[in-house]
Amino acid sequence: MHGRPRKAPKPEDEAASSAKAQKLRALQTQFFSFHHNKIYTKEAVELSAKLLEINPESYTAWNYRKLAVEHYLNLPDCNPDSIKSVLDDELRVVENALRQNFKSYGAWHHRKWVLSKGHSLIDNELRLLDKFQKADSRNFHAWNYRRFVAESMKRSEQDELKYTEDMIYANFSNYSAWHNRSVLLSALFDKKAEGFLLKEKVLPEEYEFIHQAIFTDPDDQSGWFYHLWLLDQTVTTDSPLLASSWPGHGSDVLLVGDRCYNGSAFSPFSALHSDSGSFPIVLYFNQPVRGVNSSTVTVECGFNKNEDLLWKPLSASNSQTARVWVAHLKVSSSDLHSTVEVSVGHTKGIISTRGFEYSHPSMLSFKVHVQPMERDSSQVSVAESISLREENFKVYGKQSEESIIDSFDQLIIKNGHETTASNWRFEALAKEIECFRELLSLVDCKIGKLTLARLLKAYDAMSYPFANKLVHSEEVLELYSDLMKLDRTHYQFYKDERSIVLLQKYKDSVSSAICGPICLRLNNLSLSRMGAFEKLLWVQMLDLSHNELQSIEGLEAMQLLSCLSLRNNKLRSLTALEPLRKLKLLRILDISYNQIGDHSIDTTRYVCSSPLSHSVGSELNRDETVTSDVALINNWEAFYIFKDFNLNQLDIVGNTIADEKFKSVLVKIMPKLKQLDGKLLD
Amino acid sequence: MESFRSLTVTQRDQILVEQQVFDIFKTFYNLPPSSQSFMLELQRENHVEYLTKGLTGLSPSFCVLDANRPWICYWILHSIALLDEFVDPELENNTIDFLSRCQGPNGGYAGGPGQMPHLATTYAAVNSLVTLGGDKALSSINREKLYMFLRQMKDASGGFRMHDGGEIDVRACYTAISVASLLNILDDELVQNVGNYILSCQTYEGGISGEPGSEAHGGYTFCGLATMILINEVDRLDLSSLTDWVVFRQGVEGGFQGRTNKLVDGCYSFWQGGIFALLKRLNSTKEVKPIPLGDGEGSGEESPQTTTSSDAAGEEGLNGDLSLGGSHSEIGDQHNTSSQDNVIDIDHNHSKGHANVEPLFNSLALQQYILLCSQELNGGLRDKPGKSRDHYHTCYCLSGLSVCQRSWLEDEDSPPLPRAVLGPYSNLLEPIHPLYNVVLDRYRDAYEFFTKS
Repeated sequence: MHGRPRKAPKPEDEAASSAKAQKLRALQTQFFSFHHNKIYTKEAVELSAKLLEINPESYTAWNYRKLAVEHYLNLPDCNPDSIKSVLDDELRVVENALRQNFKSYGAWHHRKWVLSKGHSLIDNELRLLDKFQKADSRNFHAWNYRRFVAESMKRSEQDELKYTEDMIYANFSNYSAWHNRSVLLSALFDKKAEGFLLKEKVLPEEYEFIHQAIFTDPDDQSGWFYHLWLLDQTVTTDSPLLASSWPGHGSDVLLVGDRCYNGSAFSPFSALHSDSGSFPIVLYFNQPVRGVNSSTVTVECGFNKNEDLLWKPLSASNSQTARVWVAHLKVSSSDLHSTVEVSVGHTKGIISTRGFEYSHPSMLSFKVHVQPMERDSSQVSVAESISLREENFKVYGKQSEESIIDSFDQLIIKNGHETTASNWRFEALAKEIECFRELLSLVDCKIGKLTLARLLKAYDAMSYPFANKLVHSEEVLELYSDLMKLDRTHYQFYKDERSIVLLQKYKDSVSSAICGPICLRLNNLSLSRMGAFEKLLWVQMLDLSHNELQSIEGLEAMQLLSCLSLRNNKLRSLTALEPLRKLKLLRILDISYNQIGDHSIDTTRYVCSSPLSHSVGSELNRDETVTSDVALINNWEAFYIFKDFNLNQLDIVGNTIADEKFKSVLVKIMPKLKQLDGKLLD
Repeated sequence: MESFRSLTVTQRDQILVEQQVFDIFKTFYNLPPSSQSFMLELQRENHVEYLTKGLTGLSPSFCVLDANRPWICYWILHSIALLDEFVDPELENNTIDFLSRCQGPNGGYAGGPGQMPHLATTYAAVNSLVTLGGDKALSSINREKLYMFLRQMKDASGGFRMHDGGEIDVRACYTAISVASLLNILDDELVQNVGNYILSCQTYEGGISGEPGSEAHGGYTFCGLATMILINEVDRLDLSSLTDWVVFRQGVEGGFQGRTNKLVDGCYSFWQGGIFALLKRLNSTKEVKPIPLGDGEGSGEESPQTTTSSDAAGEEGLNGDLSLGGSHSEIGDQHNTSSQDNVIDIDHNHSKGHANVEPLFNSLALQQYILLCSQELNGGLRDKPGKSRDHYHTCYCLSGLSVCQRSWLEDEDSPPLPRAVLGPYSNLLEPIHPLYNVVLDRYRDAYEFFTKS
């Protein structure tokens, strides 16, 4: 009934429709009696056709007709002619019903069913579709059916592509036609059909085509989505790539036995404290992959030969697919200096979510130096407190800038063979950028600005490994600031996007924000969202205080973090801290002055009101020490989040949730905690 | 090469609608404030009258809806519940009896007595009965049989069929999962591979389509997202591109369109607006996937019991207070002396201001569209000016209005600020549970009923 044309009833119409209702009621009674008694006589079947003509939504009648058809096809005297006549009858009934209501699910489905019997001429279907699609060019039932027909009759994608072109020329606002175009082109790319083997040939033509629509009317939405799809086709490489790693290629890692951030930490080495006798190797791919294991990624080093490393995906869900993978390599005390070589993808098996194989085998090599422990870690004074105070962020002198740049450099995996292949991508993007700058010089257009920002970001991201600089970040930031002013409705969206660009930029510039190769200060930047983690893998101390973060999604990639400040942000629930559960080296955490507990209803419980989601509770039940403790049961989120932490120091003051009772629960959950809100614990 | 005509049919239609809508807004802004506030008033009595009439008798033009009779019940009953009104006991009884006659001998509800059971009408019937509430209505649902019906509708691919031999689509998945969740009969068998099916329907635009290969659509995006939340696999969707898609479906008229470059339609106030209600709750808790703590085992079978146990835990909270009484005061003193300055200094000025978070869409503009363009003053709501009212649009415009009025709120139980409610504060509707679109109180009663039984 939704969206169908309706007229106000006139008195004479009302009389007529009342008669119609009477007739329908009689028909229906008769129909149900036939249906329930499985009567499939000619008379009975015709009656169901009448019913469907009045009410095409009567799905029970459609099913009855299916049963009737099966009944006829199974008769002993059934021959090709009689089959054809039975099925033709069905097609006619459907067509009449569609004339009555072209949005009837049951009617379209019935037609598919009849055709799947394989006896009817499918060519007629295109003629019928043309008629319906002229009448309503956005009817998604018709488009779905069209794809079904084209596939069944093995009509070429090229022919269908031509059809979308005609539809677009008739009405370039018809997004259904643009959408079908993207579906068809994707299929052609996948099949590597002749003439579609090279995206570099096809995509520029498509850009030309879409420009006509966009420049004719920049406010028309249809073109923009298609443009977005084209952009995606231009920038994404099919096979996954290794975006960065820790340790980086050619780097020196210094492992120290205890936690003292003295002068040695600021040497050109990346120094890492390790009390478990192991250190993490982190691989960051440009898209989620599965199949990272000891056979697809081999690690050779002095101290551990032939050891099967366990690679774990770092993602919030427990799926076996992730962008970031980590393994922990044990060091031995006998070999103090060793070279580690990590080969990625020399054996097949790393596969992206879209099903593409990792096809750029690469090798990382780095040196590890173990500095024997000077003190036993148990002797570290309980009172020793580490914080993100200014002295830990000594601005690092000029002479060291080079080494910092080096450390950035090492994170980038160079893919030389990609350069030539990508030239057309650069050219396409550069052309688009030029084109949209022109558009914006003619008209002021929000979506034009957003698109230009996306193009510039894509261009920078693609050129980063070679240029080592985000040349357009200022322009992009300005575009987003503009949009935030122009379009208040979507303010937060632009702000989030802007935050990520801001982060990229800060990491890109060697400024006083970076105070040594292990500390990063990103406070007071109005960040509402985090991103660009692939460039942050080296960070051990991170200051994100005084921002507007509501989520720290993705932070789990920063495996070296030992000290993190999220003071004065907008985190609203303990469960928002989930990514931190994966940070095994985290010792010091400051989440003070957030909004945890401000809201009396726990949003997690509310969203996940499905009984399934309460299995966190079931985990609690299995742990008897917990079930016996009412306070812990009552704070299951806290238990869930904090139980895996190895924190020494926690600051949580300034959150509604952090009353004394809650703090005593925390102490119970984390027996190793030495300091809470600046107070020593016994 | 051919060139494009300067104005397409689509654009002409869009301009006509914009003119109509802007004329209404212009008239409105030229009125004195007293008449303005009258125009913005929700005509509660007229709506209730229009709705109640629909429940007792419909004109013959409703023939085409004969296979959708439980839907009419749901649209009307839910609208009445949103307006915080009740139907009289006799009518309530009749409705329960009627829906019982729609219930098939092998479970599920049909479009009318004698018809085959169908998932969409099952959803409508269950939501109607939950909305009516009370033992008679809730216990009239045969949950064991309904579970068997859902299992029968489950396709090997993971998706659901609308009815025996019927089509598989996102609607079918949502209605099946929503009903199962609401009735506390959701289990691993029903959930299996549903996520894969929904995932195959998310398009590059970001929204979700009715079936693989089709274009993104507001109704299906709501259904797909809600399903993924209910089965706890929402993080598998590309939520940022979904958000990206949905924010741009709100047009200059204030209302939402259902698909790219379609006209505004009041019913998407809920289908698209409801997506925001779901996204907002996910925002702070997005990466939370509370199922597996360790290896992801044992998430299914035990769930009904654990539901009750976590609820029970809530009640026991009081005892927890007492048991900690001793240490409480001791630490409390320390707290007062050491960290108080900081608290006053930094927190109190700011944090309260942010407790109400601005929604990702323009809630006031949508309310303005619903009240001025969708509302018919003599009762009922509609698609857009020039169209006539019907129960479907009345239901989804009002549901959307309720979502809007609370779009600033984080906490469903406290009333929204007056500035969040356009027009007189008496416009405030009852809050809904956005996953099922039933009034929140009725959901809670049903939740309790079905977790006990």
